[in-house]
Amino acid sequence: MAAEVVKEEVYSTIPMRTWRWLGVNEARVASSVLTAAQERRIRVPAGEKHTVVLVYRDEPAAHVQAELAAGAELQLIKVQLAEDGVRRADTIEVQCSEGAKFSYTAVEAGAGVSTTKLLVALNGDKSEADVAALYFGDRKRRIDMNYIIRQAGRDTRANMQIHGALAGESDKIFRGTLDFIRGAKGSTGREKEEVVLLSPKVRNRSVPLMLSGEDDVDGHHAVSVGRMDENKLYYLMSRGLNLAEAERLVVEAALAPVLVRIPDAQLAAEVREHIEGRLSHV
Amino acid sequence: MAKKKTFIEDIERTLYDIKNEDRPVYKTKQGLTDEIIRDISAKKHDPDWMLAFRLHSLDVYNHTPLPVWGPDLSELDMDRIVTYVKPDAKMAGRWEDVPADIKDTFDRLGIPEAEKTSLAGVGAQYDSEVVYHSIQESLTRQGVIYTDMETALVEHEDLVREYFMKLVPPKDHKFAALHGAVWSGGSFVYVPAGVQVKIPLQSYFRLNSPGAGQFEHTLIIVEKGASLHFIEGCSAPKYNVTNLHAGCVELYVKEGARLRYSTIENWSRNMMNLNTKRALVEKDGLIEWVSGSFGSHVSMLYPCSILHGENARCEFTGVTFAGHGQHLDTGATVVHAAPHTSANINTRTISKDGGIAVYRSAVKVAPGADHAKCSVNCESLMLDDRSRSDTLPVMDIQGDEADIGHEARIGRISDEAVYYLTTRGISEDEARAMIVRGFVEPIAKALPLEYAVEMNNLINIELEGAMG
Repeated sequence: MAAEVVKEEVYSTIPMRTWRWLGVNEARVASSVLTAAQERRIRVPAGEKHTVVLVYRDEPAAHVQAELAAGAELQLIKVQLAEDGVRRADTIEVQCSEGAKFSYTAVEAGAGVSTTKLLVALNGDKSEADVAALYFGDRKRRIDMNYIIRQAGRDTRANMQIHGALAGESDKIFRGTLDFIRGAKGSTGREKEEVVLLSPKVRNRSVPLMLSGEDDVDGHHAVSVGRMDENKLYYLMSRGLNLAEAERLVVEAALAPVLVRIPDAQLAAEVREHIEGRLSHV
Repeated sequence: MAKKKTFIEDIERTLYDIKNEDRPVYKTKQGLTDEIIRDISAKKHDPDWMLAFRLHSLDVYNHTPLPVWGPDLSELDMDRIVTYVKPDAKMAGRWEDVPADIKDTFDRLGIPEAEKTSLAGVGAQYDSEVVYHSIQESLTRQGVIYTDMETALVEHEDLVREYFMKLVPPKDHKFAALHGAVWSGGSFVYVPAGVQVKIPLQSYFRLNSPGAGQFEHTLIIVEKGASLHFIEGCSAPKYNVTNLHAGCVELYVKEGARLRYSTIENWSRNMMNLNTKRALVEKDGLIEWVSGSFGSHVSMLYPCSILHGENARCEFTGVTFAGHGQHLDTGATVVHAAPHTSANINTRTISKDGGIAVYRSAVKVAPGADHAKCSVNCESLMLDDRSRSDTLPVMDIQGDEADIGHEARIGRISDEAVYYLTTRGISEDEARAMIVRGFVEPIAKALPLEYAVEMNNLINIELEGAMG
């Protein structure tokens, strides 16, 4: 029987291309996934504070556009817990005016193939983006994330903290870009990704880009990829936990900084149980 | 209070810009055709297999697209590049025998003086051919071979055939294929097992002919337990037409061997520098790269270390200074292909006057390369808001027994650091100077003293300027 041919298209690209053999220049998504995208527009008027929680279980795609007026604040929580057979693609685009604050918390813990792009434009002076995401890969899960924060206004602040764990035969790409546009004087950007590797068959690709056309900025990115800290495991096991329990606790602790940002306690508990359940099969 | 800036002088190029009359004894026509390749091969008296290799490479070149990433290469018109320029000089073993104008050029660059004081052997290439080569007799007695590639092809054909363009095959990329087709000159070094070459060897490459390309090939084999420090220098005078450098460096570091490969590159700013360097490191071997990129209009240079044997190691130290009209895209790649391999990449970039400095890297951990360790640190200093500084590292890790860390910073000189130093009694001017010198110090200290001095001269810090 002939293999099924899935028609794909380029869904997102990194702002600056590199060697093709690394396979990180672009993310491709099945065209059929994109035709069913849910559209969502969020407008936060000047001075107002909104919180929006998006939970995705079986929708194939979503396209969220948010505009934050001057001094507006948006707390956007995205939790993705789709079944293994689901292929997903999400786009979140955010425009921030002067003094606006965007907070984004994302959980990527489901779907067989999950492709995400986040584009945040800090156009206004003193606008801020605080992004925290966790991903958990197990079995044959494919996770592709492309986060870009473009800092165009003066004195903008960007913070990107990514925590992940990879088990089974999972394969993940995280591209995180801090893009300082000329004129973004006094701006700062921080990006950090920490990845815990739990299986010899995982593949992790990390691509932290930092682009700058402005000298009066302070940019810093860091990536750490490795096994679980053996000292932590030893400590926990010396307190009576077996290896599996200790490993589970260490992974949960690694993901905790993101989980605590979910304001809905019930949803946070569901995410925790979802990941614990999967960890118990690792 | 307005932020102030440190002024770092542009690189003084007078020394490098002195042009000699272009009077080769032979030049190919411009462009790249089957006929030109056969012509070069005949002039160089290639064996048949090398002619076949060149023609195969040309075919690969014609079927390989330009890279779709990196700097804009549209200014490069191969139909206007002369790929082979034979200078009016025969290879000499004594400086006295090198023609006067060519010898004067190398004199001004300090090569003969360096040979007397701090080198165990020297090679000097002028346009497409090596015009001078020497090596201390004590090394020859130990079996060390240091000669030009053409002589190696005659006297050590088996070795050349075994290793030539095996690490960088023509199919690697378009300019590797170009190199395979038109290569000329370069150095061949063979260090027998257990021999420690304690004083460095140096090859210097000078491209004098306008509109020409230089395609030297450097092939170094350091056998089991041996060690070598090899230094490469490059420069050219500036012309109004594009010159091209597409050299190729292949380094074989065998079991327990050590090789330090240092480069101070100061090509003129009409040069497209599309160079390929790669090392294969076997068990317990060590490759150390020291790379200073100061010249050229466009550079694409990412020395690659393939850590092929258990416990193989790589140390990469690089500095890139991009000034007006320069787009220097530099970095490093490391492939961990065996267990317990380790790498340490440490780079600094400076951009000013509209220059573009890009740090680009790839760290790959292949399946089975358990306990691979890699640490990457890159720092970029921007001296004005007309320049660009971009950082694009990729880490690709397969397996769970790896420990990979990457850290990068972009910014200007920190006010806090200057303040801290002034509170310790250091004047503000001296504090600024210390910070900028400290920024490139990891590179300077990796070089032999004479070359560190040259590098400091290349980056001349104007102490009386203000800082930010």
